[in-house]
Amino acid sequence: MGGLETAQFSALVVVGLLVFFYGGTFLLSTRIGKKEENADGYMTAGNNIGFGISAASMTATWIWASSMYASATSGYTYGISGPIHYGLWGALMILFIYPFGKRIRAVAPKAHTLAEVMYARHGRSSQLMLAGSNIVGSLISLMSNFIAGGVLISMLSPFTFTQGVFAVAAGVLLYTLWSGFRASVLTDFVQVVAMLGAVAVIVPFVFVAADFPAAFETGAGNLTAEQGDFFSSTAFMEQGAPYIAAVLAYAIGNQTIAQRLFAVKESLIKPTFLTATVGYGAMVIGVGMLGVLALYLGYEPVGGDVNNIIPGMAAEYLPPVLLAVFFIMIVGALSSTADSDLAALSSIMMADVYGQNVAGKEKANPRTMLLVGRITMVVATAAAVAFASLQLDILDLLVFVGALWGALVFPVLASFYWDKVTGKAFTTSVVTALAVFLPVRFGWIPVDGIFGVVVDVLSVVGIGVVLGLMVFGFFGARAAKIVGVAAVVVSAPFAVGSLHEYATLCGSLVAYSVSTVVCWAMSARRREGFDFALIAQRTGDFDDGDSAVVAGAGAVTPAADGDPEPAGTGTK
Amino acid sequence: MTTAALTVYVLMWPALVAVVLFVISRGFFREWAQARRDGRDLI
Repeated sequence: MGGLETAQFSALVVVGLLVFFYGGTFLLSTRIGKKEENADGYMTAGNNIGFGISAASMTATWIWASSMYASATSGYTYGISGPIHYGLWGALMILFIYPFGKRIRAVAPKAHTLAEVMYARHGRSSQLMLAGSNIVGSLISLMSNFIAGGVLISMLSPFTFTQGVFAVAAGVLLYTLWSGFRASVLTDFVQVVAMLGAVAVIVPFVFVAADFPAAFETGAGNLTAEQGDFFSSTAFMEQGAPYIAAVLAYAIGNQTIAQRLFAVKESLIKPTFLTATVGYGAMVIGVGMLGVLALYLGYEPVGGDVNNIIPGMAAEYLPPVLLAVFFIMIVGALSSTADSDLAALSSIMMADVYGQNVAGKEKANPRTMLLVGRITMVVATAAAVAFASLQLDILDLLVFVGALWGALVFPVLASFYWDKVTGKAFTTSVVTALAVFLPVRFGWIPVDGIFGVVVDVLSVVGIGVVLGLMVFGFFGARAAKIVGVAAVVVSAPFAVGSLHEYATLCGSLVAYSVSTVVCWAMSARRREGFDFALIAQRTGDFDDGDSAVVAGAGAVTPAADGDPEPAGTGTK
Repeated sequence: MTTAALTVYVLMWPALVAVVLFVISRGFFREWAQARRDGRDLI
């Protein structure tokens, strides 16, 4: 099986494919480019995008190169249920955020970032905590996609990893820099058509070319009993459960989702996110099936590196034309996510740093704001290229950051529904949760004694919080409390005494539970409530130019952290 | 799982991908046509 060595493209073919992809994408972006871009359009495209573009954009953004590789790795490692335990929970991240998105959009119809809304709700420190976590997540994602591009190009061509990274970074920056988010979402449509079309053809082609379904019988001996079990407990505990815990955390911690929540026409949030859920799930699980097929075939990835499963299978079974389609599919996946990360980073620097904290809402200059956004894109690209050379373990980084985001979930979501949550409760709960999360995640304190029981109990509470929040979005507080308590009661007998052996899962669950308990305890006894109508006044458009709507003239500065004014009384 | 069930299980995902591709494309081109009729930018 020397597929990878023999299936390399010539330098000319790879350059041609990259020029075709990035040149075409750039030309498409010039069709919507304006000499004078609108600052709000640069961040959220006028808050009125239709279903087709927004569903395509949400799907394309959430599918990145690592999700394909990881899904196939999961199939290869855990067997037939592996891709489900990767792709399904990733898809549910999109599904479970949409009811919260409708609420967020209702209280802040013209906002640009979640952190901007936190500023309006609580003040600066909660805003910067959320914005900071968003920036870290987007930079890691950007770096990961550049690495994937470099690896792919170095694997399938004479070019080096570094040359590949530079080519991808330059290509993405080229078409995103001028029009920002508008260019990102429009090009996402073309990229998602390329990606979905490729998967619809490539997976069945490999299936037939590799002599399936007959190989299911001849290769059955290559699977362990656990790998052949659709209800594998190993796959659930090692792959599925940590991802279930991260479902809401990723959705809250990722500005690329929030940006699309604010950009899509408000009445289309539900169909957009439902379609993206199915699109992401089908695509990622479908690609993951290549890992399952590889397992049945007894395929050995090049160098023993599981990240080589997909390129290796493609090189082994696809003719040159379809291998070129595969190449475009991976480049499309990493580019659509990278351009979204650039747009997310620029909007955070424009709205949260410059717009809210440097110039102030009413004094912000839209031209300066656009300059800040474009400089951010260039600097972020340079930083991601520099970090890409370190070739860090991206999935480990993301699991770690995802657990950190878990500490933010309850304080952020509660801030949109519960008028008693204060900035002080928000900040204290997040910091406390992180202080408990770190020793649990990295085993700084031995968990074989009383601390292990404490971790188990906190984790069980975390299970209740995670499931309760998921239910809350769809069915409200009463159903959420019932499910949350039931989850604690049902899981406690199994979890207490053993759950602390899964450090990654426990770290995430502890982050949820501690932040929830502290935030609730600091907020429950307050008598004064926050007037949510103030958020719409405090957020809104910065640019009154073309296609923008002027923000409420009464835009005001929020009260200090932890000191929201009584409902209906305005600012102090 | 039987061979037939495994075959359906593996191939149902690319089939579902094709359905989503159709739904998204139809939405996009309808909006594009509507924007042209209204004489406004698509985005």
